[in-house]
Amino acid sequence: MFHLNGASVTYGSTVALDSINLQIRPGEAVGFVGLSGAGKTTLFRLLNGMVRPTRGTVQVNGNSLASLSLEELRQVRAQIGFVHQDLSLIPNLRVLHNVLAGRLGRLSLWQGARTLLFPPRSCVNEVYEILQRVGIPEKLYQRTDRLSGGQRQRVAIARALFQRPKGLLADEPVSSVDPARARSAVSLLTQISREEGLTLCVSLHNLELAREFFPRLVGLRKGRIAFDRATEEVKEEEFQSLYDLGAANGGGTSDREE
Amino acid sequence: MGGTSGADSIQPVSLRRGMGLRRILILIILGAGLWAFIQLNLTPADLIPNPGGLQVAGKFFSRALSPALTYEAEFVPANTQPLLWKAIQAAGTTVVFAAAAMSLALVAGLILGFLASTAWWVGDPAGGRSATVVFLRRSVAPIIYGSTRVLITLMRSVHELLWAVLLLAAFGLSHLSAAVAIAIPFGGTLAKIFAEMIDEAPRDVAEAYRGSGASSTQVYLLGLLPRALPDMIAYAFYRFECALRSSAILGFFGYPTLGFFIAASFENLHYGEVWTYLYTLFFLVTVVDWWSGALRKRFAV
Repeated sequence: MFHLNGASVTYGSTVALDSINLQIRPGEAVGFVGLSGAGKTTLFRLLNGMVRPTRGTVQVNGNSLASLSLEELRQVRAQIGFVHQDLSLIPNLRVLHNVLAGRLGRLSLWQGARTLLFPPRSCVNEVYEILQRVGIPEKLYQRTDRLSGGQRQRVAIARALFQRPKGLLADEPVSSVDPARARSAVSLLTQISREEGLTLCVSLHNLELAREFFPRLVGLRKGRIAFDRATEEVKEEEFQSLYDLGAANGGGTSDREE
Repeated sequence: MGGTSGADSIQPVSLRRGMGLRRILILIILGAGLWAFIQLNLTPADLIPNPGGLQVAGKFFSRALSPALTYEAEFVPANTQPLLWKAIQAAGTTVVFAAAAMSLALVAGLILGFLASTAWWVGDPAGGRSATVVFLRRSVAPIIYGSTRVLITLMRSVHELLWAVLLLAAFGLSHLSAAVAIAIPFGGTLAKIFAEMIDEAPRDVAEAYRGSGASSTQVYLLGLLPRALPDMIAYAFYRFECALRSSAILGFFGYPTLGFFIAASFENLHYGEVWTYLYTLFFLVTVVDWWSGALRKRFAV
């Protein structure tokens, strides 16, 4: 699904990612851990085709990002659902419309506008089914800003699923909700991805959740891959090494609070 | 002022320079104000009105609590409509002129506001590498929104009353010249504020839609504009209130809006009637304010 070979991303003189080699097979579930600023977000934007590598190659479903036209790049993006840290929902729209917007990438401007303004029956039914899967079917016609944080997060997941993606990326999806909700959200993501056969990449501050739900973990540190192996093989020192920067004021524990 | 000098004495040494600059600026502003007073020969004595003026003002304000319900003139032609009906009609005309002007201003404001915003030049983060696109973005884009901004400023810098004078001279007392007179400065103001609202709207949803493969047009229309829309609607309603007032004032030029009847009654010293028309205007503005408040609540973020 994703194949990175020596991929680097630089913004001006800042190196966000440095020679990343990474291979993720279709249907795999991978957790990404590391401090803020370690490059997780840039890496996800790379996998999503929002950024092209400055050096090296990135292949998504066999397409090399560097050689794609913008139009082809959009088709690649449409195959990958993205759950954003800030959720990126329009608060004064109904849940239905926020979810419907997930499919814009597969529709023309006119079709997209029509789907949002006059949603066809079939689309509404499909949104309802997806909302059932994420556990909030009764919120279909609710305004999004009337929902709780946890419910809004489910709307963001539903939007990504309505996109009919092959892969799902979630960048710090649980940093804004309480621990119990965080657990159920990660559980939901992994469960749906398994059932649908989606490739799942989730970046997490919370090490316990990462260990519990993901068979494979990738640790990022200062734009480089610190480790990439089966979860049970990752040593405690390796986790500690990710948080060296914050060691002066208690390192690892401060990140677990989020 | 006292606060400034007091705070100054306990400022750390490193901030002294900044405080000095600020003090100079305050002195310049105060100096400019004083100079304006001297230029206009304003003295405290001007605040004392002459006895005649005081009498008129007294008569006028004494009618505030007893607005006229019927005509104050001694002779009223038999086929004249009742005063209140006339006030309602004038209010209707005021609304019609304001609505016509706002419709024109909204079209102008949306188009010019779009051109004067910079958000639509933000290309795809992974695209825009071709030399033509870079060239267009660096040369044509600044020309378009730069010249639009100049046009907007020209429209705004002339007051609607002055536009009305100019257009009346050119086209006579036509309905269109009244609507256009209001629409030009209002369109400019709407465009300026719309452009700022679009540029300052949160980009989170736009980025998310782009990431799901949406085209740049979709991203702009469905991801960015909806984020600015609640503010834009609220502001347009506020401008509609302003348009009502301007439309009423255009009556001074002879249009049958509230201003026409206010001026006529005032000249005839029928202060009760003036208050009737003023309360009608007050009622109109209140209704629009209430209506926009209700809508704002619906669109609120």
